[in-house]
Amino acid sequence: MQAIAPSTLLVLVPLLPLAASILTVALGRVLGSRAHVPAVAGIAGSLAVAVVLLLGVARDQAAGANGHDHAAQPVEMVTTLWQWAGVGDAAAAGDVGSAATSFSIPVALRLDPLTATLLVIITGVGLLVAIYSIGYMHHDPGYPRFFALVSAFVFSMTMLVAASNFLLVYVFWEAVGACSYLLIGFWYAKPEAAKAAKKAFLVNRVGDFGLAVATFLLWMTYGTLNFHDTLAADGSPVPGILGATRLADATGYVGGLVGTAICLLFLLAACGKSAQLPLHVWLPDAMEGPTPASSLIHAATMVTAGIYLVARTAPLFMACPGALTLVSIVGATTALMAALVGTVQNDLKRVLAYSTISQLGYMFASLGTGTLLGFTAAIFHLVTHAFFKALLFMGAGSVMHAMGGVIDMRRFGGLRRIMPITAATFLVGALALAGVAPFAGFFSKDEILAALHSRGWPNAHAEHHDAVPAGGHAAAASPFGVATLSSAAGSHVRPVAHGAAGVAPAGPLDALDSPGTWRLLFWMSLLTAGLTAFYTFRAVFMTFTGPTRVPDEAGHHAHESPPVMTIPLVILAIASAVSGWWLFSTHALAGFLASTPSFTAPAVAATATPPAFHWNLALQGTLAAAVGIVIAALGHLGRRSDGPQMERFLGPIGTLFANRFYFDQIYAALLVRPLEFVATLAALVDRYVIDGLVDAVARAPFGLGGIVRHLQSGLVQRYALAGVIGTLLIVLALVARATG
Amino acid sequence: MIASLMPAVSPGTFLSVAVAATAGSLWLLLPRGQAGVAERTSRWAGALLGIAALGCFIATGHRLGGLGEEAVFLVVSLVAVVSGAATVVSRSPVYAAIWFAMTLAGVAGVLLVLGAQFLGVATIVVYAGAILVMFLFVLMLAQPAGLAPYDRVSNEPLLSAVAGAVLLGILSLSIGRLSAEPPACCQVPSKAAALADAPSPAEPTAAGDVDLLAEHHVARLGAELFGRHLLSVEVAGVLLLVALVGSIAIVSRGGVSGGDPQAARRAIR
Amino acid sequence: MTPSPLVLDGLVVGAMLFALGLVGILARRNLIVMFLCAELMLQGISVSLVSWSRHHGDWGGQVLVIFVLTVAACEAAVALVFVLQAFARTGRLDAAAWQSLRESNLPRVVDHELPAVDTVPPKFPRLTPAGIEPAADEDAVLEREHV
Repeated sequence: MQAIAPSTLLVLVPLLPLAASILTVALGRVLGSRAHVPAVAGIAGSLAVAVVLLLGVARDQAAGANGHDHAAQPVEMVTTLWQWAGVGDAAAAGDVGSAATSFSIPVALRLDPLTATLLVIITGVGLLVAIYSIGYMHHDPGYPRFFALVSAFVFSMTMLVAASNFLLVYVFWEAVGACSYLLIGFWYAKPEAAKAAKKAFLVNRVGDFGLAVATFLLWMTYGTLNFHDTLAADGSPVPGILGATRLADATGYVGGLVGTAICLLFLLAACGKSAQLPLHVWLPDAMEGPTPASSLIHAATMVTAGIYLVARTAPLFMACPGALTLVSIVGATTALMAALVGTVQNDLKRVLAYSTISQLGYMFASLGTGTLLGFTAAIFHLVTHAFFKALLFMGAGSVMHAMGGVIDMRRFGGLRRIMPITAATFLVGALALAGVAPFAGFFSKDEILAALHSRGWPNAHAEHHDAVPAGGHAAAASPFGVATLSSAAGSHVRPVAHGAAGVAPAGPLDALDSPGTWRLLFWMSLLTAGLTAFYTFRAVFMTFTGPTRVPDEAGHHAHESPPVMTIPLVILAIASAVSGWWLFSTHALAGFLASTPSFTAPAVAATATPPAFHWNLALQGTLAAAVGIVIAALGHLGRRSDGPQMERFLGPIGTLFANRFYFDQIYAALLVRPLEFVATLAALVDRYVIDGLVDAVARAPFGLGGIVRHLQSGLVQRYALAGVIGTLLIVLALVARATG
Repeated sequence: MIASLMPAVSPGTFLSVAVAATAGSLWLLLPRGQAGVAERTSRWAGALLGIAALGCFIATGHRLGGLGEEAVFLVVSLVAVVSGAATVVSRSPVYAAIWFAMTLAGVAGVLLVLGAQFLGVATIVVYAGAILVMFLFVLMLAQPAGLAPYDRVSNEPLLSAVAGAVLLGILSLSIGRLSAEPPACCQVPSKAAALADAPSPAEPTAAGDVDLLAEHHVARLGAELFGRHLLSVEVAGVLLLVALVGSIAIVSRGGVSGGDPQAARRAIR
Repeated sequence: MTPSPLVLDGLVVGAMLFALGLVGILARRNLIVMFLCAELMLQGISVSLVSWSRHHGDWGGQVLVIFVLTVAACEAAVALVFVLQAFARTGRLDAAAWQSLRESNLPRVVDHELPAVDTVPPKFPRLTPAGIEPAADEDAVLEREHV
């Protein structure tokens, strides 16, 4: 535990957006058109604090690295705010088999390199989106509500990445899901938006179920839910799931059936939140929300929660190689499928949505390789993707704003003449997304391909394995230089898997972990890279090149966006252009992340390799991108955007892509219809049986009264008769009682 | 004599049969909106059933011990009861009033046999002489032409007949119980006990069958009335005055049309 | 000590008269007949009271009967005045004519159709005129045909 900075700084990061959100909710109506002020101020403050924390962590890492061997030292700082829940010492019961420690959930935040990185990304992109929204949402009647939701989202997301307890992660997992629902359904009066919000929430729920069950299994297996080491009520140490004690222990993590189950449930949760197969169906529909919301949540931050979860629980995954492989399979398959569907979309935002799914698939594929390179590459790609995807979405929003709400690319074209800044920044983002050097996406994608390649062709990396101990330390500390390694077949850094497989007991899915699988995944990823470039530039050419056409809804809007919208675009464009080169060349990010406690586990750290630039893969990647761009140019550069479309060109396969592989229809038939049927039944039971019972209880007095009413007929003699009969009954009763 | 004719059943059964027969006979006798043969048939049936009911009551009384040594009493009580029944079931109100006069005669006879000579006579004088005549006057004033429809129907004849019969049964049962055991509450001080020891001046029949109020009957009644109950007498006088004044006041104010029945009838219809 | 048979019989007779009067009040619809039956009930009560008075050897019962007599007279007077007023309002002596206190959504109770009465009025006995029959005069108009 190293005192990086006062723990209050860490608390401030989520606290400022929370305060901003509450203020906006309370004073929104009063502030009116200035309702953005608390939100922007809160997120800006949060960003400032996050940057300070990042620098602090980096300084501590540098301080800790001196005097140690090449293995990175874990850097973390835990702040416990208060004890949220706790049950007394359960050890007295004595009937629980494993680790019957007392149940305590402290509200604890942990700062480590991974958290610090993500905090900066979240608050940074959040701030730019907030500034952008000032212009985009200017005329919207729900202006204050939007900023309250954005601030609440930033709070939830920062807490999610900072929480040091699985239950807290679950809480904020749900919270970001709720913010997403509220933002997708921001224009709730529109039926499509409401349906899309509901769909997103329900599909996320499936993932949340996985996370909940995983939490239960974690508690049963490890006896605690905390990341960090804590003390039990009687003073005995309770090793946290990702605490220093357990990380140092070679057998600290459970494999086999239970371990695989936990990992698969985590994967399910991540699929739900990060829109992977088979729970990806909500993300394209989520484009019904305002574009800044899409940019923030469904591109840069919320959907990365799944990546964060898998990266954080890397030690657990390392104990189940089969589960890891499945993660990669899911990721690569999703990437390919989404890319295929994206090629035939005509809605600019839908293209970007499928592109998001595809890139997230890349990140999962990288995570699943189980090497330190894979993990850091995934985070690297997360960072760069946040930049260029947010940029692309905001650019699309700018286009939509100018075109009066029209986003169908076939209805406009040649916009670079009327929106030069948007066009330029969009082009930068597209180049980054396609993976063209020297933009950001090129380097991160290259790293991912390297990780996949190293698993598919492990022998090709063999010779560098022995060189790791000697050169590692120097490589970590010195600026990186392009490693001119000899071998013509391609000199690659070899990530070592020797440590990983031998530690854990065999799991049920280990058969998947074969080099053949990895090779297939590598080729799929390469193909996806080409497709990515293709559809991205198809969108660029259709939108910004060709004859200038403006739809009728644009009216007088068809001009460049105001500076409040274009300045964030420019900032993100600069980031997309520069960050990749900078982070890669200084090995800043990978080395920084290597100090994350999760990545210092022996299983992960053993796969560490010195940084290298893989020319072979870079060439293959660039070739794929170039092919994609050329084909897109052939089809769309300079042409009218409502010309012949991809679907027709591809024929029946195009129809398959256009219908998104019929996932929605299959889900509707398998799940939605039976549930609707059950719901109809339940509604009938509710209306006729339950309400009928209640109504019957209500009607009973009426019925009874209707009968008794006839007693009051107005005829005096009948009244007298009733009196006499009553008296006789009483007398009879008395006589009977007297008789005995 | 009568005992030999009696079947060997318990008094309770007899009483139940008597009650049922009473209810049935009353129901048959009450006007139920029938005409012609049906009505005559039900009236005859009702009369016969009523006689049977009376017979059952008499038998029950005999079974309970000590009945009707007084033949006179039996006759006058029969007159009273039968006339009373006729009062209730007569279709014509005037006939009902006349039967009521007959009832009064019977009741006077009962009272005389029971030793209340003054009251017996007073019944005739006040009731039959004054009240009944008043009834007849009113009938004369308020009688629609012909037999009115409301005289030919009854209001819930079955329930009323059953209620009356059940009441009669309960009362008979209670009275029968009185003869079974001595009532614990009815300890009359002084007189009864004193006279029980002393030789009775009246006719020596069964124990307790002596009228202790026979001697100087009216004088002693008057003394009792104006002695112990003087205040009540005065109040009764005031009550009579109030009734007199009140009835005149109501009449003089008149009804809707100042007492003109024809105009009222036209207004209502 | 148990009441003597005479007393018991008196009680029974009183009970009978009371029960008959009760049936009459509950069943008959003619207001005058209803009051006659009320008087019948009072007769029954009187008989019972006198029986008890004989049993106890006490004047109280008979005194009470005298008061019952008094009150009956008053009551008859006032009640018959009311009956006359009722007749003035509705033209009939029907107790079932007054139904306005019934529940608001109940219909008026109306007699079902009664079978027609014998149209021939009953022949009442008439005194034979003695001597010469007097000439018919307009007084005969006032003579009521039937009661």
